[in-house]
Amino acid sequence: MKAFTALPLAAALSAGMASAALADWPTDRPIEMIVAFAPGGGTDIMLRTLAPFLEAELGTQFPVLNRPGASGEIAYTALSQARPDGHTVSSLNTPGFLTMRIDRKLRFDPAEICPIARIVEDPGTFIVQPDSEFQSLADVVAFAKENPGAVSVATTGMGTDEHLAMLQLEQAAGIDLTAVPFGGANEAKTALLGGHVTMIGLNVGEYATSDQDSFRALAQFSEERSTLAPDLPTAKELGYDVIMSSERGLAARCDVPEEIRTRLSQAVDAAIADPEFQGKAKQQGIPLSYQSGADWSAAMPARLERYTQIFQLIKQEQ
Amino acid sequence: MSFIDLLMLGFGEAMTLQNLSFCLLGALLGTLIGVLPGIGPTATIAVLLPITFFLPPLAGIIMLAGIYYGAQYGGTTTAVLVNLPGEASSVVTTLDGYQMAQQGRAGAALAVAALGSFFAGTVATFAIAVAGPTLSSFALSFGPAEYVSLMVFGLLAATILASGTVLKAIGMILIGLLLGMVGTDQSTGQDRLTFGAIELFDGIDFIVIAIGLFGFSEIIANLERSGSEGVTLAPISRLWPTRDDFRRSWAAVLRGTGVGTFLGLLPGGGATLASFSAYSFEKKMSKRPQDFGTGVVEGVAAPEAANNAAAQSSFIPLLTLGIPSNNMMAMMLSAFMIHGITPGPTVLANQPEIFWGLVASMWIGNALLVIINLPMIGLWVKLLTVPYRLLYPAILLFCCIGVYSMNNRIFDVMLAAGFGLVGYVFRKAKCEPGPLLLGFVLGPLLESNLRRTLLIEQGDPSIFVERPISLTMLIATVVLLGLMIFPAFRKSRQEAFQEEEG
Repeated sequence: MKAFTALPLAAALSAGMASAALADWPTDRPIEMIVAFAPGGGTDIMLRTLAPFLEAELGTQFPVLNRPGASGEIAYTALSQARPDGHTVSSLNTPGFLTMRIDRKLRFDPAEICPIARIVEDPGTFIVQPDSEFQSLADVVAFAKENPGAVSVATTGMGTDEHLAMLQLEQAAGIDLTAVPFGGANEAKTALLGGHVTMIGLNVGEYATSDQDSFRALAQFSEERSTLAPDLPTAKELGYDVIMSSERGLAARCDVPEEIRTRLSQAVDAAIADPEFQGKAKQQGIPLSYQSGADWSAAMPARLERYTQIFQLIKQEQ
Repeated sequence: MSFIDLLMLGFGEAMTLQNLSFCLLGALLGTLIGVLPGIGPTATIAVLLPITFFLPPLAGIIMLAGIYYGAQYGGTTTAVLVNLPGEASSVVTTLDGYQMAQQGRAGAALAVAALGSFFAGTVATFAIAVAGPTLSSFALSFGPAEYVSLMVFGLLAATILASGTVLKAIGMILIGLLLGMVGTDQSTGQDRLTFGAIELFDGIDFIVIAIGLFGFSEIIANLERSGSEGVTLAPISRLWPTRDDFRRSWAAVLRGTGVGTFLGLLPGGGATLASFSAYSFEKKMSKRPQDFGTGVVEGVAAPEAANNAAAQSSFIPLLTLGIPSNNMMAMMLSAFMIHGITPGPTVLANQPEIFWGLVASMWIGNALLVIINLPMIGLWVKLLTVPYRLLYPAILLFCCIGVYSMNNRIFDVMLAAGFGLVGYVFRKAKCEPGPLLLGFVLGPLLESNLRRTLLIEQGDPSIFVERPISLTMLIATVVLLGLMIFPAFRKSRQEAFQEEEG
């Protein structure tokens, strides 16, 4: 019986605490920023660069906590278990966040995680050696039509950006390519320079900050040309329906009060608008592309639909 | 500009008071995190990266580089003194280094390690300066097929790591290979041997296994003794190596330097692979391989020279091609990019002061490390007189903090504890963990490269014998296998004949 009487009391207490937390937020405690990747990765460096600007904006500290593993699932699980008081945010990356639910059972409910703001959109590209016989995407497609499977494409694993882009190109052009998984973008770059693979997938950010004489980009996979590569045509312009970009941003639990999430979103917007931050982002080749949490959420179902279709293609191939 | 002019330019840049102090700061920090197990240079540099915003480009990069090679020095200290590798690359140093410490020769082991590292660092630094671009094009010719042959050779050589029976060594390699398979399969995205634990989706961390098998199991084994005495069994005779130590280790240092410089160049290689390979190689070359594992000075000199050489030479692909060969170098790439510098051929041509300044600072940093480390040996060795009922709980604590801080999760600490128990069982069964770790390191490299090769070649294996580097290594493997089988074969045949006659 005791337990029954205690329940309403506990509920009342926690409700009281929540409203108190709301009143003091964000200055009462630091806001923990969970990063789903190891220190030194693109997402980690981007968020560590952003943190001081968010701190200035909100007048509180943003300590970074790396929870790498399982392409983000560990971090998202940690976020979904944190208290919904607006003192825990996490990095959010697509396509990983969207694709992981397609073919595996997750430890968290993706519907419980709400995007706060998109910070970066980095389109994928296909890169060949500078002295390659392939001058354009059309050259690759023509060669692959003649020689099914002979064009090897280095990816960073199954279901990653590059792999999904490759599958879309296969479908759009009716060709057969060979995906070769590597441990990371740098291993793939090395294999390309050594001439061991025909083509690699990279993000425009990675391409733009590499030595331009060592690589030739064929196309970028965004709707519109990225600010980092204004001269590189999109696959759509070339007549192939390939849309693939990695987006990076921040997320919080959906049951964090909406005012807090809006405030965080505005703070990210303001921090990104800071010319000093923009200068740093430019040096590091970060293609900034702010989107509010609501807009980003709204764009996700269409992307998820597209990825689900691609995954079904993979299943058929196997 | 001639080579000498460029080198002078580099030293001019590196010798400014500011750059010199950041070099010293980096080397000191590196030594410190090297001593602390689990806390590696990659994480340290990631945390310090934003600070380098406020430094001039060269000073920031010099400091971060100092942390990296400083950690290679520091990692040795705990490996020798308490059988606890401070860095992944010093795991193999525990095999003979700790035995030397038990015989009261910790000082000699540490001094040989420091001097060997300095020599290796010097050679590798000059290799960067003289032959950087040439070496990097050689590294590029290493495709998936070449890796497969190299790994096959490495796995066979791994049996040499153990001092016990070959059968047990092979068993340990197989366990290592099995552990290496844990995690998500790169080609299909399926999870293997994870038992549904998402913490295992990316595989098991090398540090977790190393600290468990070496550090924790050592502590468990010591519970068998009473708690009042110090760690050392034999009295500490002298701190400085004997003339005999020097005589025996110089060749080992030379060979270790060669192996390390070469393996550091290759993507995915780096200091850990280099130290293991140098130890195996040294044991194969030795006239008395049976003594390895009982505290021979070559067993410390070779891997320590190798890991330091590899730490330096892994800068070559980054500086000359702009491609980092391991995680650590990826961090360095970010450090360059923060300052708007894109490493690669254009930097060599347009900003020579950055490249040559860094190269010169590496040599200065190595010299500073010897100066820091040699006088500290006496201090470190005194640690051994601390009763282990006080020392070991402290070590245990640092291990746990280190393992936890890698991924910020308690799961890894529990896993390391599990490996500690397993390691204790191995110890009782007289199975040595060295070959297991090498199998663990090489297995995933072998598997992924074999699959890559066959994917690229669309299932045709003839590439392994068509490519000269790959063919050479396969022939070396066959020769080594022959050497291992035939003496035993001959002997057993003789025995069989004797039985017939009798």
